Amino acid sequence: MADDLNMLGEQLKEAFTDKVLSLENRLDELTMVIDAADIMAVFMRLRDDPNFRFEQLIDVCGVDYSTYGCETSEGGIYLVDEERINPFKQRFAAVYHLLSVEHNMRLRVKVFALDDAMPMLDSVIEVWPSANWFEREAFDMFGIVFVGHPDLRRILTDYGFVGNPFRKDFPLSGHVEMHYDPEQKRVLYRPVSVEPREVTPRTIREENYSRH
Amino acid sequence: MAEIKNYTMNFGPQHPAAHGVLRLVLELDGEVVERADPHIGLLHRGTEKLAEHKTFLQSVPYMDRLDYVSMMCNEHAYVMAIEKLAGIDVPLRAQYIRVMFDEITRILNHLLWLGASGIDLGAMTMFFYTFREREDLMDVYEAVSGARMHAAYYRPGGVYRDLPDTMPQYEASKIHNASAIKRMNENRQGSVLDFIEDFCNRFPANVDEYETLLTDNRIWKQRTVGIGVVSPERALALGFTGPMLRGSGVAWDLRKKQPYEVYDRMDFDIPVGVEGDCYDRYLVRVEEMRQSNRIIKQCVDWLRKNPGSVITENHKFAPPKREAIKQNMEELIHHFKLFTEGMHVPTGEVYSAVEHPKGEFGIYLVSDGANKPYRMKIRAPGYPHLASLNEMSRGHMLADVVAIIGTQDIVFGEIDR
Amino acid sequence: MEKIAHFFKSFLLIELLKGMAVTGKHLFSHKITVHYPEEKTPQSFRFRGLHAQRRYANGEERCIGCKLCEAVCPALAIKIEVAERSDGSRRTTQYDIDLTKCIFCGFCEESCPVDAIVETRVLEYHGEKRGDLYYTKPMLLAVGEKHEAQIAKDRASDAKYR
Repeated sequence: MADDLNMLGEQLKEAFTDKVLSLENRLDELTMVIDAADIMAVFMRLRDDPNFRFEQLIDVCGVDYSTYGCETSEGGIYLVDEERINPFKQRFAAVYHLLSVEHNMRLRVKVFALDDAMPMLDSVIEVWPSANWFEREAFDMFGIVFVGHPDLRRILTDYGFVGNPFRKDFPLSGHVEMHYDPEQKRVLYRPVSVEPREVTPRTIREENYSRH
Repeated sequence: MAEIKNYTMNFGPQHPAAHGVLRLVLELDGEVVERADPHIGLLHRGTEKLAEHKTFLQSVPYMDRLDYVSMMCNEHAYVMAIEKLAGIDVPLRAQYIRVMFDEITRILNHLLWLGASGIDLGAMTMFFYTFREREDLMDVYEAVSGARMHAAYYRPGGVYRDLPDTMPQYEASKIHNASAIKRMNENRQGSVLDFIEDFCNRFPANVDEYETLLTDNRIWKQRTVGIGVVSPERALALGFTGPMLRGSGVAWDLRKKQPYEVYDRMDFDIPVGVEGDCYDRYLVRVEEMRQSNRIIKQCVDWLRKNPGSVITENHKFAPPKREAIKQNMEELIHHFKLFTEGMHVPTGEVYSAVEHPKGEFGIYLVSDGANKPYRMKIRAPGYPHLASLNEMSRGHMLADVVAIIGTQDIVFGEIDR
Repeated sequence: MEKIAHFFKSFLLIELLKGMAVTGKHLFSHKITVHYPEEKTPQSFRFRGLHAQRRYANGEERCIGCKLCEAVCPALAIKIEVAERSDGSRRTTQYDIDLTKCIFCGFCEESCPVDAIVETRVLEYHGEKRGDLYYTKPMLLAVGEKHEAQIAKDRASDAKYR
């Protein structure tokens, strides 16, 4: 398994010399970071090249790296600690998990969106139709816009929902709650009344916890 | 002649055949489905966001509530992700227990699926028979974990407690006399393992019963053969996994191809379909139950012969024994640390997948070295399956949509998360 | 030949009759259902039901207010206030469990170093208002007193596994 991964790593480097930003083999998993501009070219080749044959897109996961390595939180929101150095330059990324049934291999491809205020990435729905709902979810939860997606609607949140709930600056208990108004005889929104409570604070310990 | 227009129909979210809270907007031409647009999210609880605000241990019980008919498999993917990232060694006995309960869970899931699909397609009796067997398995769940469904039994580093030596028994009442109670308790005299073994011996005959009722039944065949056909290439492209993929003829099973825990020591076969229709997926799932039964038997044999520890001794990740904390100050500190601050998982990212009864259930975990995950993504197998409903049901009759939802084995706990 | 066999099979409803035979067989077999509430299905000694607070045999409450259960509770259902009692011991002044939040995971019991908070076998309780399921310390102690014999027995059965 580990040998296969090393071989795949070599092949990837060879095939995408100018496109691979970083390639890491850790915990028997291969992570490749590529540029947002190269999405279509790289993924098309990953699917069709007989060396790779990643027929399946297992998952697309949006990530918000804005508070990576930070501990402070307030009111159910994690805050950016100024003294911490965030290793990630861009805030949003989409992480694609690929699976090759033919070669029995997995690959993780990470793509950072260049613009933090308006994260945009090319949709891979043409490469793998299964990207459809995964991209809709990342759009819904993080506000990452997938250019070229034919039906980019919200998927998991309520009709008429405002905001992107999985962003780190979105509070855990949200902004609004629903209640039934007996006078107007309909359901209305009002500001949330749940008081944020955190019993166990987030703490980071860097000493000897890692095995590496 | 009057012009016939397409019309749109709402299916659910309260429809019993929608298997939970699925709102399906169907565009129909007469009774033929032109387009199906599933609206999901009615059960969205934001588990992934919640997990970011909880310590690693605290998220374990929330995993049960994702796919609430295959509880322990969800936990398994989650604890495996933590173990992989933190490099925790799991005792062999715990691995066997996990494999055994994964397979028990698979049977539980497929039994519910069989019963519920049966009802959807008009075979009412199936539900009663499958729930009879489910009852036994849930008793096993309860005996080991204390809950019939939401077990919270797996822990990073092993499982919470060893299997008990006794099985709870029926008590005499005014309805059943002593001899009837004795008969009901007959298989409950020994340990949990004895009870499971007794179940394994009975179960193949029960599966035969289900097959007698359904496999050759003309109504069942009329409702399932040739419905929702997916070609192998298309199944791969659509992100199918598990029985949905195997039903289309792709022999892909993580237990064989990327074995985790002790699956590489198990002897079992992977059933695959030929046509890729609802009937083949039914056959695949029924055969999977028989194969799971085989695996459980092998685990029972091994577990009988090999007593031992069921959770890691690394007290940074698993609490010490009860006795130890009362005698040893260091252990007490570990206990307090673990239950207040929780465990710290090293920086990094990991994806761990298990062969869940519905397909590939994966957890993608990003940790920045804190006691809470930085980001956790749940890869639910039902999600891409439901996404393909539009494609699978196009051109079929309205009643076939029910068969297709049934065959996808939809559970909203995992799809909406 | 096969065609003829198939014709007879489908014409004579063989597979349907076989199915009926299965149903017919079960008509006369022993029933596995029980008549609730006169009788109940077996319950494990690990069962996680309604919470209870326990006391020692001398009547002293076990809880020392270490707040481990509050910290580990995934649903934030437990709320504890602690103060020093007149005899100098550390005791809780408030110990509430909101059962509408509780997910019955059993972590509170697992974390408790003195076995004070436990989950009992009780599953038949109800509230007529939402607030009725907000259990305060006296209510939890009352549950404990009522079921102490069973609780102690179950803890003893489970002791060797923990």
